[in-house]
Amino acid sequence: MGYLNNSTITVDAILTKKGRELLARGKDEFKITQFSLADDEIDYDLWNPAHPLGSDYYGIIIENMPLVEATADESNVMRYKLVTLPKKTARIPVISVPQSSITLTSPGQTFVITPTTTNFASGNATLGYTAILSNSDVATLQVATPVAAGVSPTVPRFIGDAEAAQTISAVGFSFNIVAKQQLVSDVSATITIIGNETGGRSTINLTVKKTQLATALATSITNAND
Amino acid sequence: MAIINRTASSLTSPFDVQANVDGVVQVVSPTLPLSYNSSLQFQNEVEIRAQQIASEIIKAQARQSQIAASGRVFTRFDVSTDVIENQKTYVTTGLFSGNAASISAMYTGSMQSSGSKQYYYEIFNNTSATAEPQFSIAWGHQYGSGSSAAGTLNDSPSRAIYSQYKLLLLEPGDTTFTFGNGENSTEIYALNFNRARIKDKLDPGNWQLSVAELRGGSYPNNSFTGSNVTVANSNKVISLIDDSGQTQQTNLTSAGRVYNIVSGSITGGVYNATAPKYYGLVYPDMGIMIFNGNAFDASASFNSVTGSNIAGDNAWKLFTSISGAMSLNASTNAFQARNEETVTSTHYFVRIKNGEYNFSNNPSFVTGSVGEFAQPTFIGDPKVYITTIGMYNDRQELLAVAKLSQPVQKSFNNEALVKVKLDF
Repeated sequence: MGYLNNSTITVDAILTKKGRELLARGKDEFKITQFSLADDEIDYDLWNPAHPLGSDYYGIIIENMPLVEATADESNVMRYKLVTLPKKTARIPVISVPQSSITLTSPGQTFVITPTTTNFASGNATLGYTAILSNSDVATLQVATPVAAGVSPTVPRFIGDAEAAQTISAVGFSFNIVAKQQLVSDVSATITIIGNETGGRSTINLTVKKTQLATALATSITNAND
Repeated sequence: MAIINRTASSLTSPFDVQANVDGVVQVVSPTLPLSYNSSLQFQNEVEIRAQQIASEIIKAQARQSQIAASGRVFTRFDVSTDVIENQKTYVTTGLFSGNAASISAMYTGSMQSSGSKQYYYEIFNNTSATAEPQFSIAWGHQYGSGSSAAGTLNDSPSRAIYSQYKLLLLEPGDTTFTFGNGENSTEIYALNFNRARIKDKLDPGNWQLSVAELRGGSYPNNSFTGSNVTVANSNKVISLIDDSGQTQQTNLTSAGRVYNIVSGSITGGVYNATAPKYYGLVYPDMGIMIFNGNAFDASASFNSVTGSNIAGDNAWKLFTSISGAMSLNASTNAFQARNEETVTSTHYFVRIKNGEYNFSNNPSFVTGSVGEFAQPTFIGDPKVYITTIGMYNDRQELLAVAKLSQPVQKSFNNEALVKVKLDF
């Protein structure tokens, strides 16, 4: 008779860059209040329901896989979050946006993004979505339809350092993208829509065209020799 | 589950009813005004109010269940049961670079200026470009003897060194180092560990330093310096430890704990424990060893130069003696030491119930664009693997991340408990 495994898994955590930044600001700024789980590195294609040794071995190749150490860059971890859903769920909620890319041609032009969640009734209907615009120089991001007052939505972030300085985010059910004037060239950015409840996400490419400025031409050229 | 807050002005009946989202109804303020003479009227008021409260409860529960049913990727910690703060752990490691427990060769640095070498020698672990300072050694004399004074004796480096350690280690008003045998000594050798090596403190009882006898007996005092300073042919080596293992009562000073440095070894303990030979004092909390110059003169022929305004370069003698011992036997005479560090941790218990986190947003979990499971066997019995735990604040900023050593399977048939340890 074997012994049941009643051990608690103990793991060491490392601070992310954001964690170090907040810890440096003071203990009050650094307050962990919640957790989330992810299955980064797992390829479910390795799940083998035809394993000759039976169902206990379907995932053996995954379970025996060593994992890489955590990195301090928050943009490279927690990419694929686990989510709590009812047992009878047959499809994972998918965050859908009708457009895969948006092109705005003039300053002030507005485009409304209305994400939806398919495969799940009322998915993200309470906490809404988080829209992350990677470059605030390209456009402004406004909430068109806010979530209900008093609701504290989750705001997942997967933005790296390079973008962090210019990244803006908003929480709501729909969003206005308003183009900013681009004087030098066409500028592109990405808009990431993340479901605040289901965790899925969708990415849209945004391009704002260079502003065509009218040039006042001289009506006549006078030759001094004329 | 907070009780619904209502102001006193919202109280409409003498019996105010409060409820929390668990459905527990509390009747408060049971003060019956004179205007409520009719028990029937009063009962109606209570019923109406109870219905209002019940409606609020149902709405709150519906909202909670809606949030839970529509998916959840974050779970809040219960601070009272899931978080244990300020767990202190004492960690000891090898003191030298790379957490090495010993060093069997040591070098001075060519980049150190000759001016500072009049005060101390910085000791490195190797001669490569990546060499790191391990500790410093210095010579001090209460009255400035044994080193060149640039002007008057008061400017002597040895006087400055003695005064420096006097103020660092001795009680105010105490001007002279007194060693275990009661001897007051005006001349000291100091060994001061580098801060990066010592971390919090030296681990007392777990260090051993060997010094070799020098040729001091062969030279007049003032001329035993420079190239004359070499290891004696006797190959005599004195092994030094502290007596923390023998001491029942720790001597606490304003510089922290202090123990005697005596002859002995880590494995064998204090040599002749009933009448030990005292060589100095160790201040583990400061990471400093103070050796009695007289003791080294007597037992290891240091012949420390004590002439006035003479550059005796006595610190070099301690270097030569320690490195000479290492050269005689790099194994048994290596300088062994451990540091000690207090690590403050917070433990977070991540409790994952069977019905939680059984689905994934991993792209390989689904196939196609409509979210169908890649593995048909997952329908009704999904299996996911936890690899990473993210720790967030209220603003959903990822503050810390923990990785498991191996994926842990999660399904509706099992639960998981992970203790996440975050060191500060």
